[in-house]
Amino acid sequence: METGQRESEEPEEVKQCDPSLPDSHNQAGCEDSEALPYHRTAAVLGESIPDGDQTEEEEEEEEGAGTQTDELEETSVTEGQRSSSLDPEGDPEEKAERDGTLNRESELPEPSGNGEEPEGDACVAPKAGELSDSGSTDNTLEDSGEFTETCPVAVLAGAAEELGSGVSEPGTPPLSHRDEDVTAESWRGHRKHVFVLSEAGKPIYSRYGNEEALSSTMGVMMALVSFVQSGDNLIRSIYSEDHKVVFMQQGPLVLVSVSQSRQSEQQLRQELQYVYYQIISMLTQASVTRIFERKKNYDLRRLLAGSEKILDGLLDLVDTDPSFLLSAVRCLPLASSLRDSLSQTLQKAITPNLVFSILIAKSQLLAIVQEKAVIEDARLEPADLHLLLNLIGASSAFQAGEIWTPICLPLFNPDGYFYAYISYLDPPQCTVCLLLLSTDKEAFYSVAECKRKIEDGVRAQNALRAVEEARAYSVTQVGVPDLRHFMYKPFDVPENHKQLTQFTSPEMEAPYSTKEERERLFDLYRYLHSCIHSATRPLKLIYHVAEKETLLAWVTSKFELYTCFSPLVTKASAINAITKLLRWIKKEEERLFIRYPPKYSTTPNPSKSSWGGKGGSDRQETTENGFLSLP
Amino acid sequence: MLMISPRMATGAQEKQYPPSLLNFFVYNPKFGPKEGEEEKKILFYHPNEVEKNEKIRNVGLCEAIIQFTRTFCPTKPAKSLHTQKNRQFFCEPEENFWMVMVVRNPMIEKNNKDGKPVVEYQEEEILDSVYSSVLQQCYNMYKLFNGTFARTMEAGGVDLLKQRLEKFFYRYLQTLHLQSCDLLDIFSGISFFPLDKMTYLKIQSFVNRMEESLNLVKYTAFLYNDQLIWSGLEQDDMRILYKYLTTSLFPRHSEPELAGRDSPMRLEMAGNLLHYGRFLTGPSNLKDPEAKFRFPKIFVNTENTDEELHLIVYKAMSAAVCFMINTSVELTREFCEQLDSLVGPQLTLLASDICEQYSINRRISGPEKEPQFKFIYFNHMNLAEKSTIHMRKTASVSLTSIHPELMKILGDINSDFSRVDDDEEIIVKAMTDYWIVGKKSDQRELYVILNQKNANLIEVNEEVKKLCATQFNNIFFLD
Repeated sequence: METGQRESEEPEEVKQCDPSLPDSHNQAGCEDSEALPYHRTAAVLGESIPDGDQTEEEEEEEEGAGTQTDELEETSVTEGQRSSSLDPEGDPEEKAERDGTLNRESELPEPSGNGEEPEGDACVAPKAGELSDSGSTDNTLEDSGEFTETCPVAVLAGAAEELGSGVSEPGTPPLSHRDEDVTAESWRGHRKHVFVLSEAGKPIYSRYGNEEALSSTMGVMMALVSFVQSGDNLIRSIYSEDHKVVFMQQGPLVLVSVSQSRQSEQQLRQELQYVYYQIISMLTQASVTRIFERKKNYDLRRLLAGSEKILDGLLDLVDTDPSFLLSAVRCLPLASSLRDSLSQTLQKAITPNLVFSILIAKSQLLAIVQEKAVIEDARLEPADLHLLLNLIGASSAFQAGEIWTPICLPLFNPDGYFYAYISYLDPPQCTVCLLLLSTDKEAFYSVAECKRKIEDGVRAQNALRAVEEARAYSVTQVGVPDLRHFMYKPFDVPENHKQLTQFTSPEMEAPYSTKEERERLFDLYRYLHSCIHSATRPLKLIYHVAEKETLLAWVTSKFELYTCFSPLVTKASAINAITKLLRWIKKEEERLFIRYPPKYSTTPNPSKSSWGGKGGSDRQETTENGFLSLP
Repeated sequence: MLMISPRMATGAQEKQYPPSLLNFFVYNPKFGPKEGEEEKKILFYHPNEVEKNEKIRNVGLCEAIIQFTRTFCPTKPAKSLHTQKNRQFFCEPEENFWMVMVVRNPMIEKNNKDGKPVVEYQEEEILDSVYSSVLQQCYNMYKLFNGTFARTMEAGGVDLLKQRLEKFFYRYLQTLHLQSCDLLDIFSGISFFPLDKMTYLKIQSFVNRMEESLNLVKYTAFLYNDQLIWSGLEQDDMRILYKYLTTSLFPRHSEPELAGRDSPMRLEMAGNLLHYGRFLTGPSNLKDPEAKFRFPKIFVNTENTDEELHLIVYKAMSAAVCFMINTSVELTREFCEQLDSLVGPQLTLLASDICEQYSINRRISGPEKEPQFKFIYFNHMNLAEKSTIHMRKTASVSLTSIHPELMKILGDINSDFSRVDDDEEIIVKAMTDYWIVGKKSDQRELYVILNQKNANLIEVNEEVKKLCATQFNNIFFLD
């Protein structure tokens, strides 16, 4: 009773206590259109923007604005809790208590010396109430669940479906693979299935087919996991003639991959890890853990509603983009002078608490500038960047206006949020995307200001054009006739080991011009990668001659190289070719890689810091433990 | 004896445990479909001491795993389950009859800081392809001596089947030696004796004469030095019979020819001056009035004619001949005496002929240098197998002369070969700088390990070319 009442009041509370938030919507909104709040929703949920007349949805949205915001702020909500419990050493009991009292706190003016920002907590309130009112956890969860289910999720799901068919894929029947018949041969025939479920066996995500229809299959999966566990053992995988089934448990989540590809178990597990990270990037590890601690059979789909598309996108990307396999980032080849001047532009446009400024074009890195102090203690892992790139790529919503969204970088810190500002510099083409990461939740204005500076700087240099013209290069530029394709990943040189791991690779050209052939070559690379990096029997070199091509993989202390030759190449000429290739890469190094990512210093402003914990004397410690000194 | 090395004193030593057999069971899900009757499904369970509920649980897990994988491909269910502590291998050799082998992963026991032992499982050490083959071999060996499950069911129902499984596997499982299984178990090939044409013809005419004179003989096989020269059996039957002969029967009968001059065996032999022939199966001494004339029964051609045969193995010096006779014929003392007096002298003569020829050939090919390489060759068409890596196959262990890590890399390459039908060549350089070459062409597979650590790819290629030219021009006469 009480909870229900409270929740119905929440929208009001949000508006009252957090004037800055709706404001920031408006701020963003005035740039574009009044539809922007929806864009934000869409952005957070990974949906594309409604193109057509969405008045009905729009209206309903208005009605459910409270919950909408609530859903919108889902991530930041959990962040609020997070920031209060960032201290990894923090006593969980204490955390719970704190969370439980968030509601009350929000009603009281918060002394600003205390690290918890009152505004933040205010908007935390709805969710905090749902998730952490320990006294009546179950009821609240149940209630809130129904609450959310009946209102915005349904609306959004509806919108999503229409959008999916209407906007993103014009002309295709509205039947998405989420509606697939899971008993059909075609469903079985998928090359790779991925399932995510909770320890209670509740479906969270399935790559193909509706989770509800698959709930019994997922139930069996969980039964297998717990059965083996009950024998004081852990299930890893099942092999049949054509399939590999790989199980991975991550906290309260179980991830399962069912693959017909030739990939190794290790590689499939790495992909599941990415899926897990992507979920974490939306919710944080701590909040996922907490949710299931509170209620074992919680339906996590409530919190992930709409984000299936991000996971779908990730899995498609993992199957085509070697960045994931190599755990490295690819840079768009660019004249070093141009790249330098772009970096300088980023370097100049700073504001307190800004930690990463990144320019992206064509899903490749253009320039990156990092905060000095932050990067000294932890490095930006390629995997984190991949998740960001996927997020940007998975949603066309980012193409309009500016996005300000909380995001967790799981490898940097699985329990904390960054605030990502995402905006394209060249609408409507939308090639060049700017990504600014701040640790300050309130920094929207100042970060948006940075964007304007960057925009001006880039325009002044007339750089956009040059970037738009920049292309992936052809292997023919290397000048070795038998060489068809390659992937080259240099290892960090010791003195700047904080550097982002990168790789370079030309376009796939004939005979790898069809989707099938590209997939086949990628499979071969995966096979080489799995052999050469085998956990138990790693190798130094592989020379593989087959009917359609000859492959050579080579790992040294300085680099890792995968090459593909025509099948008739001799061993002598292959070795010759590699010598030439390495020389060519050396020559082109400046163009292909970001050799020394520039740094800036935006010493965090203590009063603004959102990573600060309980404040006071604790702050420093919290900052160090929770953020800066991650391994 | 009580000396303790400083290493041990600090507790830094590690104890290694090789993979070992945890469970082995045979079940049929149709035999106890109702709840509460699950025990009826179980036809054989090793170790038998395991508690009933535990057995039922383990069988249940296998059923669940197999059922689960049918969700994704109804016709090709699970073949193995990997867990942290063990691997389970599934095989359905006859419809609804499942054989399961559970192998514990190798472990390393370390002492932690407090001196307490901590066990670490090495999860990636066991090769699926090797142990799946071992499981299949278990069935094949069972079938050789007992016939199919279905046939036994017809003959005497579940009870007879259980009895036979118990009787066979009780002993057989003790001979598995899982720690030394490798690539050769996948091939399960036959080593052929290299021979010149003349001698080969002599052997063939010997076989023909014997079959004619003894006229009861259905099939004959001839081996020298544990290597096959001639066989009338179907390939797959010969393959398993060969395995039995070379890993079980022959090693159990040590060579009296090699025994010391004054050993009692030698004296016994002296009584029979005509020849060195003797029965390895059946009566050990024909002169013994108590001698029994019972021979092991084997089942061949189970797919079609399903024949049940007496297996007579008769050996003189290094030459062994197997005569297989339909079980409808009763073998008597007279028959055995006739066989002994007919085959004994001729086989003795033939054995010394082969021996002489063999040493001439060896002399021609020159004294053997320690080669820079070791290799394994296998031909899928005739099952011919040759290994210079395995020093000696015995009943207990197959000794290899190379590091087990390299053997596993060979296994990895083999798994890759088995995925596609195309010809392939793979050259890899291991972390230890050994070069390993795998070649597959037209049903033949060759694996070479080169101990030239400073060689480059081109030099390695040259070495392998040379090896192919010298080793594989005339060795395999059946090619």
